Amino acid sequence: MEYSLDDLMKWDEKICEIAKSKYKVDFYPIEYETIDYYEMIGAMAHHGMPSMYNHWSFGKAFERTHNMYNLGMEGLPYELIINSNPSIAYLMRENPFPLQILIMAHCVGHSDFFKNNRMFKNTRPENVVQRMRAAKKRIQSYVEDPTIGIDEVEAVIDACHAIQFQTTKHGLRRRTQEEIRDELIEELKKAKQKEDVSLQKKLELKLDTVPLEPDYDLLGFISENAKLPNWKRDIIEIIRDEGQYFWAQIQTKVANEGWASTLHYKICHDLELPSELHLPIIKSHNQVIRPHVGGINPYHLGFHIFAHIEKNRGWEECLIAREACHDGSFIRQYLDEELCYELNLFSYSKKRNKSIVIDDVADEEGWENIRNELATSVGGGSIPVILVEEIRRNGELILRHEHDGRDLDVDHAHKVVEHVKTLWGDRVRLLAQINNVFTSID
Amino acid sequence: MSVFREHKTTADRSASDRRRHKKRIEDALKKGIHDIVADESIMGQNGNKKFRIPVRGIKEYRFVYGDNSGKQVGSAPGKDIKRGQKIGEADDEQQGQGPGKKGTNDKGEEFYDVEITLDELAQYLFDELELPDLERRQLSNINQEKLKRSGYRSDGIMPRLDRKKSAIARIKRMKAAGFDPDKAEEGETFPFHEDDLKFRHYKKKEEPCTNAVIFFIMDVSGSMSQDKKFLARSFCFLMYQFLRSKYEQIELVFITHDVEAREVDEEAFFTQYTSGGTIVSTAIELANEIVDKRYHPSSWNIYTFQCSDGDNFASDNVKFLEEVYALKQVCQLYGYCEIDPDKNNMSYSYESGGYQTLYDLLQPLRDKKLQTAYVIKKEDVWKAFRTILGGVEKEGG
Repeated sequence: MEYSLDDLMKWDEKICEIAKSKYKVDFYPIEYETIDYYEMIGAMAHHGMPSMYNHWSFGKAFERTHNMYNLGMEGLPYELIINSNPSIAYLMRENPFPLQILIMAHCVGHSDFFKNNRMFKNTRPENVVQRMRAAKKRIQSYVEDPTIGIDEVEAVIDACHAIQFQTTKHGLRRRTQEEIRDELIEELKKAKQKEDVSLQKKLELKLDTVPLEPDYDLLGFISENAKLPNWKRDIIEIIRDEGQYFWAQIQTKVANEGWASTLHYKICHDLELPSELHLPIIKSHNQVIRPHVGGINPYHLGFHIFAHIEKNRGWEECLIAREACHDGSFIRQYLDEELCYELNLFSYSKKRNKSIVIDDVADEEGWENIRNELATSVGGGSIPVILVEEIRRNGELILRHEHDGRDLDVDHAHKVVEHVKTLWGDRVRLLAQINNVFTSID
Repeated sequence: MSVFREHKTTADRSASDRRRHKKRIEDALKKGIHDIVADESIMGQNGNKKFRIPVRGIKEYRFVYGDNSGKQVGSAPGKDIKRGQKIGEADDEQQGQGPGKKGTNDKGEEFYDVEITLDELAQYLFDELELPDLERRQLSNINQEKLKRSGYRSDGIMPRLDRKKSAIARIKRMKAAGFDPDKAEEGETFPFHEDDLKFRHYKKKEEPCTNAVIFFIMDVSGSMSQDKKFLARSFCFLMYQFLRSKYEQIELVFITHDVEAREVDEEAFFTQYTSGGTIVSTAIELANEIVDKRYHPSSWNIYTFQCSDGDNFASDNVKFLEEVYALKQVCQLYGYCEIDPDKNNMSYSYESGGYQTLYDLLQPLRDKKLQTAYVIKKEDVWKAFRTILGGVEKEGG
């Protein structure tokens, strides 16, 4: 189907109008860039960022997508939009016209989610593009610096990437050491007044450790406490900032895709498109939100949860959910028995004899277990929680895995600890619980 | 109202990232290359042929959950599912998935098929090989007279006439004389003069000879099992690739033997095997004859590589040594590689007395021209190759 830029603009105007007036969504201005498939793969490798520092891992991502695309194993995603103000989105020239309409309606949903969801509060979308561009320039200057060079820079980036998402949960602000210290001193004063000696001792001991309380922000902690040349600290801060920026998206995959799919579905319906445009859209929509047997398709789950919320509690509640929830809370709050049953959800695990067996099905006694399993494992729940426990007097950095019933992969953990050593510059030890045995990985 | 614009990319944006990624893969490839050299699939290919080898992807390690990652949730295709129902089998044994499979295995390990040519592979191999004085010592030490072009002369023999130069000289003389062929009268011409003729001139020059012939000698008697032959083949392949990268022209002579020797083609050399005993001197004798007839040592660099499991009729041993001694005199290098996958320690040597293999017999002859090595398992092929070329044994080499 031939189409022109004017056609895109005409439908875009209607989409934006319906989104604002009928669905009360509030999104950033969107800038669409038309792009060919090869550029799309390049953009994807850089997470959609117009400018990204150089690193081999992006080359690897490119090769993988490119191979899969060539092998026909994986279509390219229909849409790619970044959390920036204005939002930058890509439209692939190879897409048929009805798909472009669907994508534009979908992007409106994402942009609204970026702008309103609580998890995105600290992502600073107004200057992310400039930040990334400046970071790229600085990293390039370290690569070109004859006293540093690409191998050293890559080693530091590799190490930072390994712990990039070991950060505070659910976008909570990390308290500064001063704040914690003041609070502890306050408590100590009270303990002294009450003449509670044991609490007093405990607090004094606590005031003597670094960090004062367990720190979940590994890169932040290293940046503040390790002896580092300025260029290394700068790279650590760059990757840390990038990690926190993407962390919001990792935590909201189901809600975000569900929201965008809900909006594209509703808006495309309201556009009163001629059937030669509307039918292909319905077809693409069904493709996007189909369930993945044995797994979870975030588009499918998110779309149906929002539909369920709207049916039972109205559109206003949907707007609240999109603002307040990350995937864990979204599922805990809104996935009920009825919906679990409707979506044929079940839980399964690998048994000792290696067979994979169904544990629960979505009936009266099973659905809650399923919901809880899902709520813990989605989004950020797929990443183990690691915290900085203390710096020993001999300089050794002690990390601990917060065990939640799931063990770490020891092989990976060893490799990551090696990476942390690169950054910390001294001994590093990770305390973990493997097969019910406390294990020290160093 | 949104903004629409063409995406501006000045260049292929991730090109440099891909280059670095490729370099990483290549580095990994080089590290693991010794495992690849003895791989069946790359033997007997010619240099330009591309082949693909799976290389473990460069992994990005993060903290991830391990095996007992608890329960997972999924969508079922319908309602007819029950608790306790078995829905599959986990196959952990897939770890270390062998070559040939592509994609990802159970643990999420990725494999990339890297396409390289044999030449590139040989390049990686020999780049890494540090053989400081190898070339001076072993290669190219035969000088040969060659004719080299050396300007022009105004006299010479007609076969060396340079027509273009001569024509230019005539035109110059014609212009100087003011003769214009367009305005010339009927029948008036401007013929070549003897001085116009230019001849190519050649000078004799001594140059190192860049021709080499390699004799591959292999025992195909009954005692050479498929395993042994496979190792022999890997060894010959490496030698061939190495010398090929050093010489312009290489000729190969393949000789197999049991109780008698035959000159065979490459395919037969690697596939043929017979039963029966071994008289190894016949093969060396044949090599000596071929040198006499076809490859005069003054114009050919001669290399001989012999692979055998070390068995020989005891009565032939003296003859064998005599023939080796004779052949060694004309060779740049005589490498003997004993292949015995049944043997499990290297300490076995001729000093221990008792039964002597060819390896033991050759020890007294060892010098810079005659090198011996042992191959027991796949990993030894590379070591044997280095030993025979006199390389300095390097950590992890």
